[in-house]
Amino acid sequence: MNSTQLHSEATNELYEMLSPELRAELARSERSMIVPKGTALIQQGVLPEHLVIVNSGKVAVTLNCARRSASLDYSGAGKVFGMRAMVSGELPEINVTSLAPCSITTVPRDAFLVLLKSNPEIYFAVAKVLSTDLKIADRILRDNSRRFPGGNRSRPSKTV
Amino acid sequence: MAYHFQIVEDCLKCAFREQSLFCDLSQQALVRLQSIKATSVYPKGALLCLEGQSPRGVFVLCTGRAKLSTTSSEGKSIILRVAEPGEVLGLTAAVSGSPYEATVETLEPSQANFIAQSDFVRFLQEFPDVGLKVARQLTHNCKCAYEEIRSLGLSNSVPEKLAKLILRWAEHPLELSSKKPNETALRVTLTQEEIAQFIGTSRETVSRVLASFRRKGYLRVKGATWTILNRRALENLVTT
Repeated sequence: MNSTQLHSEATNELYEMLSPELRAELARSERSMIVPKGTALIQQGVLPEHLVIVNSGKVAVTLNCARRSASLDYSGAGKVFGMRAMVSGELPEINVTSLAPCSITTVPRDAFLVLLKSNPEIYFAVAKVLSTDLKIADRILRDNSRRFPGGNRSRPSKTV
Repeated sequence: MAYHFQIVEDCLKCAFREQSLFCDLSQQALVRLQSIKATSVYPKGALLCLEGQSPRGVFVLCTGRAKLSTTSSEGKSIILRVAEPGEVLGLTAAVSGSPYEATVETLEPSQANFIAQSDFVRFLQEFPDVGLKVARQLTHNCKCAYEEIRSLGLSNSVPEKLAKLILRWAEHPLELSSKKPNETALRVTLTQEEIAQFIGTSRETVSRVLASFRRKGYLRVKGATWTILNRRALENLVTT
């Protein structure tokens, strides 16, 4: 299955906000593949070279904290990763790992940034993706005592 | 000046623009911003956004600070973070069209510029530098949230959490002529109850730990001015 065909049938949280022309532009740089379980799609502290779009399958989003790992979210089809690092240049704070074989589409960082520069309206779509990530993080803070499986918490947080 | 700060009506003439996360925009964007914003001054305790409310727009915090809080499923209030001047409040809701995720309350007399949602979205779509600033602020907010998650998830003790919070506040120190060279002065407008909500403990525990810090000479507290006397001691408490 080629990347254009794969992408014309699938949508994601970034593309659903873009015009058909912009999607076609992105499709020129896309590459789609199947990755096995356990693949590190995004690594904490490593600047991603691609935007990663999950077409199907399930991934885990975790946050490294000293000796432990905190589970932030489980995501699937339609989720886009690497956006924050691309737009801000900051290294990712999270890890994204496939929990099962996943179909993903990647867009090279340089190609995405060139398109962003010449089509600034994409920023609105970018902002929506980043907003979703922030909402998830804030929700975790709200429910914090139930979201850190394993490890040794001395006592439950009094805020939850 | 009833509120003891200069009200800035004209963004084009604002002296603090360049230090702000959002406001350091191109001239064109600033001219547009000037035409779509409404300037207001708020007393301490004013509610700018209410959690769960449909978004009306965003507030660009010009002066003062505001706390963002949310309610847990058990009905307890949790402070997510404190917003500093230059931040855009209500951003997530305005961009996504979903209800405000947090209640925003001013911690001190503040000036904020309100921009209606539709105007803000158009502003974001038309000016690339605005889009970039918004993306950077969302990134910054996310980074702060992850840092909080890391901190709340791992800090085993209240002294460590409180030391971490004080050290974070120390990144924006007060300039006081009376302080000694190795001291760091902070303005803390949160109550002990609010600090407790921030770090996930009780007011009594915060009070006890603070008293301990003062007794050991780590900190001096005089009203809203806290002075770090022994920064190394606070840093040694932070193990995660």
